[in-house]
Amino acid sequence: MHFFLITAVCFAGVFWLIAQGSTILPSACNEYARKAELVATWCLGKAARASNPVRRGIATYLHAVGIQAGYSFFAPNVPSHHRLSLELFYDDGRVEYEVPRVRSRAAALRLDSLLDRLSEERYEPVREALVKRLAFSVWREHPDVKKVRATFGSVNPPGINEFEYGKTETFQPMFSFDFSLRDEQKQ
Amino acid sequence: MQSVVKSPGSQISAGLSPLRKCWQRIVGFLFPPESDTWLAVLRIGLGLQVIAYALFLRSDWHYLFASSGKGLIGREVSEAITSFDSRWIPTFGWLVALGRNLNMSEDAVLTVAWICLLSAGCLLLLGLFCRPAGIVAWFLHLCAAESGGLLAYGADNFMTTALFYLMLSPLPDRYSFDQWVAKTKPRNPQVLGFWRRVLQVHLCFVYFIGGLAKCLGNGWWDGSNLWRSLIRPTFTVVPPDVLVRFKYALPVLGIAICLLEVSYPIFIWIKRTRLIWLVCILAMHAAIGLLMGLYLFALVMIVMNIAAFGAPSTTIQTNWGQRRSDERR
Repeated sequence: MHFFLITAVCFAGVFWLIAQGSTILPSACNEYARKAELVATWCLGKAARASNPVRRGIATYLHAVGIQAGYSFFAPNVPSHHRLSLELFYDDGRVEYEVPRVRSRAAALRLDSLLDRLSEERYEPVREALVKRLAFSVWREHPDVKKVRATFGSVNPPGINEFEYGKTETFQPMFSFDFSLRDEQKQ
Repeated sequence: MQSVVKSPGSQISAGLSPLRKCWQRIVGFLFPPESDTWLAVLRIGLGLQVIAYALFLRSDWHYLFASSGKGLIGREVSEAITSFDSRWIPTFGWLVALGRNLNMSEDAVLTVAWICLLSAGCLLLLGLFCRPAGIVAWFLHLCAAESGGLLAYGADNFMTTALFYLMLSPLPDRYSFDQWVAKTKPRNPQVLGFWRRVLQVHLCFVYFIGGLAKCLGNGWWDGSNLWRSLIRPTFTVVPPDVLVRFKYALPVLGIAICLLEVSYPIFIWIKRTRLIWLVCILAMHAAIGLLMGLYLFALVMIVMNIAAFGAPSTTIQTNWGQRRSDERR
């Protein structure tokens, strides 16, 4: 049962990658992969209602063993790196630029992991709440700031040949939010 | 000439013998007699891992796991996402709620959790109260991984898995203080062998799926994925200017990683190739640790690999083993 669940989780992940069209396989495979992914996720009880005890039991077991996610790290391709930059607007018209910070390198890796998740579609419902919290963490260090503009985007590194010709990374904005003490407005 | 007439019972048993042989082979594969050296490697390695995890995060512990308004993003969002999967998954929210009943502040609960995690790591390293220490380490690490789920990465999953197997394995091993102090009776070598098999098969899944997924991406065949992963700002240890000098080696290394991982479940079982594959995999993880700064990830993978396939698999002659052979005789 244990290895059956691991197999289901792993193949659900691989089929999802194929269904997304992010692999070198021909696009004709995408539809089959989508169906195969549904079968694999069904085996994990994800087709059942959220309150279903079997689904909850399986999910609890997967988390307890640490096998809730597949093992396709950095695959099929290494994703772009993401950045959240914060523009801090002061009452006197001053503008400063900041990024969310942590103290240690170990925590910086985790912050990076969070930023990469923000770009994923499945985290879209909590995206604004998370960006607001990240902005607030910087705001606490600068209490006299009037407004914060948070811009999130992907950082595309140059290819190895482009790098040799002096090309640097490019920033592609994906979304931005304005936050003030009284209200938040999505742009 | 005498004809031999077989009884129906012997015919049935002859028909079943291939099935019986097959069953015996499965049982033989799942329950090979093993010494507890691999378990000692896993325990000591995970003790170091838990200590490193706690120490690396000591300055950001409260900042990462405090509730909204005090921490980076607050643990509530991660805990809400986890509870959507199942409300039975432990989080720091449980401990904070428990602490509230005992008039403990959230900060105090988080501090106590950090101290307990560090202590559990030290106890595992020494082999003192092995099983309670294993359970505490697994539980607290799971709470941290789930409360900081949005901040988690691969190393957390592998730590949870390794601690889960350690906690269920037949502890204590003969190198632990527990064994030295309490002189407990030797463990069943076949149970030890079973848990080692579980770890071995799990690693085969890990590398096969990881390798397969990499093989499906074009960037691993031309080396561009290695380049992209090594120049990610958080992982940058080697400057890109230095990497450029090895640009012709990157495609070779990329392909080697794909092939090494995808063929791991085959060549790690063959005695002649086991050492080569193990050394290559360990070198790959050491390189990930050193070149990308993913020290925790590298350490947990190295520990799991050495415990699964690196530790010598000779069976020690124990009283238990002697008793079994006496029974068989």
